[in-house]
Amino acid sequence: MLFAHLSDVHLGFQKHESLQKIEQQVFEKCLDECITRKVDFILIPGDLFHVNIPEMRVQKFAFAKFRQVYDAGIPIYVVYGSHDFSPVANSVIDLLAEIGYITKVTRATSHENNTISLECIVDEKTRVKITGLSGLKVGKDREWYEKLDRDSLEAESGFKIFLFHGGILDMKTDTGMDGDQMPLSLLPKGFSYYAGGHMHKFNHQSFDGYSNVVYPGTPFAGYHADLEDNANGQKRGFVLVEFEDVVKSVKFVEIENTLYEIIKVDANNRKAESINQELLEKTRDIDPTNKVVIITVKGEMATGKTADVDISTIRDELNSRNAMVVNVSKNGLTSKEYSITEAKGNNKEEIETNVFSENIGQLRFDYPELLSEQGIKLAKKLLSELGQPVLINERKNEYIPRIRDNALAILGLDDAS
Amino acid sequence: MDELSVVGQVVGGSFGDIVIRQKAGTDLEIGDLMVSEENGSFLILQVFSLEFGSQIQDKMQQMMSGVNLEQGVVDAHFYEPDFVNYVLARIKPLARVYRENNDVKIPKSLPLFFNKLRLIQKDDLKFLQKEKDSVFVGYIRSGSKVIKEAEVWLPAEDVFSHHVLIPATTGRGKSNLVKTILWSVLDTNKVGALVLDAHDEYFGRTGIGLKLHPRAKENLMYYTPSNPPVGANRLTVNLQSIRPEHFEGIVNFSDPQFQAIRMAFRKSRKNWIRDLMLTDAVDAGMESSSQSRGEFATATMMVVQRKLRLLLSLEKDEEGVVFSRHEVFDSTTKGLTTVDDIVKDIEQGKVVILDTSRLGDEAELLVGNIIATKLLQKYKDAKASGELDRKPVATIVIEEAPRVIGVDVLTSRNDNIYSTIAKEGRKFKVGLTAITQLSSVIPKTILANMNTKIILGNEMKQEREAIIASASQDLSQDDKNIASLDKGEAIITSIFVPFAMPIKIPLFEDIVRERGITPETGKTKVF
Repeated sequence: MLFAHLSDVHLGFQKHESLQKIEQQVFEKCLDECITRKVDFILIPGDLFHVNIPEMRVQKFAFAKFRQVYDAGIPIYVVYGSHDFSPVANSVIDLLAEIGYITKVTRATSHENNTISLECIVDEKTRVKITGLSGLKVGKDREWYEKLDRDSLEAESGFKIFLFHGGILDMKTDTGMDGDQMPLSLLPKGFSYYAGGHMHKFNHQSFDGYSNVVYPGTPFAGYHADLEDNANGQKRGFVLVEFEDVVKSVKFVEIENTLYEIIKVDANNRKAESINQELLEKTRDIDPTNKVVIITVKGEMATGKTADVDISTIRDELNSRNAMVVNVSKNGLTSKEYSITEAKGNNKEEIETNVFSENIGQLRFDYPELLSEQGIKLAKKLLSELGQPVLINERKNEYIPRIRDNALAILGLDDAS
Repeated sequence: MDELSVVGQVVGGSFGDIVIRQKAGTDLEIGDLMVSEENGSFLILQVFSLEFGSQIQDKMQQMMSGVNLEQGVVDAHFYEPDFVNYVLARIKPLARVYRENNDVKIPKSLPLFFNKLRLIQKDDLKFLQKEKDSVFVGYIRSGSKVIKEAEVWLPAEDVFSHHVLIPATTGRGKSNLVKTILWSVLDTNKVGALVLDAHDEYFGRTGIGLKLHPRAKENLMYYTPSNPPVGANRLTVNLQSIRPEHFEGIVNFSDPQFQAIRMAFRKSRKNWIRDLMLTDAVDAGMESSSQSRGEFATATMMVVQRKLRLLLSLEKDEEGVVFSRHEVFDSTTKGLTTVDDIVKDIEQGKVVILDTSRLGDEAELLVGNIIATKLLQKYKDAKASGELDRKPVATIVIEEAPRVIGVDVLTSRNDNIYSTIAKEGRKFKVGLTAITQLSSVIPKTILANMNTKIILGNEMKQEREAIIASASQDLSQDDKNIASLDKGEAIITSIFVPFAMPIKIPLFEDIVRERGITPETGKTKVF
């Protein structure tokens, strides 16, 4: 028997048309591969979509592909991810579940004694037991795990799979990863396979009591940093798992996406002119035609402002030579003359966290939930919600109440209007 | 002063050794705190010795006893015994408190002659205000009487950056004290702590512990090697995190052995331990140019491999993967970021407890060494970039401190990170909280640098002398006082307290009962 495990597809993340096409192609290739290989079922533990309600273009091709998988008789089991989750349950995930293309596996019951029990669903064909919990932003889902009645889950017999969406500290391989991670000990023990989402690189490890904890990683890119990793040779795809009573093999299936070039410049103790010169020389040395070109400039400049590093000329030069996309990362660039250390970070989430952490100490409120760690979490969640774009064909008088309701729900307030 | 509250009267002595006569019916104890009221201020004095006094000569008293004992005269007693026989207490001034502004000064004068003294009351201790970001250690104690209204709080940043020494023999309540201090540290993010918990007693894995603090979820991190309880972290350190210098001052390697280690590191870098353990020692020796050199290298290599194997509990499986029996060290992909994660937590003002109960002595110190080295470096970098002020003070809690800062260790081996921190950590807001039964084997230079000592009971004279000699206040008269400290009683001597404070540390279980988390009820929404 065989199942596929993919996650963090982040459909709708890409803004550039060429990258949107690749995003779609990679997603379709993954599911085509599942159909071709006749998998018994597919697991998607979160962040299938980049936002809870993506634009219509994305919904259209996603629904079409899920229809094909449905017609092929392959069930898809999912949990919400931190990106496609909505506090008022109006995610496209719910729509797909409603029409039967996918199945949400979280069957939770909250009890008066503040515990949560989960019920497994059983895959009709294979009799595999599947359950799991969704992932929320900034680790809010941790509370669920702490209250989870793990004894009943651990007592379940047979081949069983747990879906989760969140980083596991014990599996971290990179210190720059997003900080909202939880210890493995929060997951219930004794499952045959732990299908993880949220971490964007393939990772497969086993621990005492936890066999086969697996992240397939994103099949293309869900953060800007993913493209840089791709350019550095990170393989992307999904996971195929062969099993009987136990897991027999876990195989990573690579799905190629596009061609890359990467230009790296170390700006430490240098002036802008010298950096610009190196950028120009390195640009001339590559063939950017139909490739994603990543430029990273890192380090602390000796003099001048970071804005003196002239990226626009380089970008124009590469575009004139038919580069598909030029992505520039100056996050790690600072200057001794003008340095905002408060905003350092390796990705958007980390930068947001750092900015809030650095500044929240200045605030004085009577409400403890607006201060310290709680305040940072709340602010990040709110920022993310307020940053949601207007959907195609969504009118202003629909957009504003949607965002307002979500924001009020995050703040735990009632709409007095 | 109310006559009823009088316990004695100054009758003689000299500065630092004042004699008072105890009022009949009162019962002064060693360590009792008393007050001498004077114009605009009052002196706080402490009893350090008690003896009998009498208006009748010794020989006469002995004769009277003989009459009682040998002549069978039953009711022979003194006429007006309270007047004739009495107790003399020797007391020393601790502090002069000015009533107007609650200013506390070191006393430089005697109390008024014949002045009547009373026992200290809560109102006399108003100057013990809780400062912002301070750490609770206990209540003021007068003899064995506890003044619960007078809480003793120490300024966290000052105290921890200037190192804390907790000298005590077994069973005097040092675990209880450390838990009490850490409980208070957990209240805020102003102190980051690395706790090397050799007995796995602080977190409360199976019972009452720091896990019950209301802010434990945010501020407490617990790392344990195997089967972590729900929510706890697995203590796995990747062998890539270890560098040759981490063994310095911890493990006894000879010069050739250290050279072999450095060579291995230069050759393989990150995977040097794994590669070294997988190297065939005989083949490695044969690679050397001369035969005699080759034999030497083989022997050295074998000793190094054996020492590392024992130290890190390393073994090799059938596929040639190196692993450690207690699962703390990993040669594959686990634990790659553990050290960085822990350092980051400490930098955020969290308390990180490492359960090192399954590790040998040296392995425990090595793990601490790796983390402390990185931590100190980060704080040094922060100082260089002007960001040190924004960091919480960091402390490393280590038991049996002479293992790393003992005279024999420091003279026979190189300095290690713990001794470096003891000597220069203060400049970078990194300090030690050292717990020991044997203060006498810690060099005087390091003892003198430990500017706060929380002294628990100690029956060993040599140890008391070492502590007294290095105290921040004059404790020369307190030898008996320290010897008579009961479980949970302590004396704080510190440059950050106005006088050597006698305290009673509350039972940790009582603190948890009063301030610990209460179980939540109600339903949680799951999406």
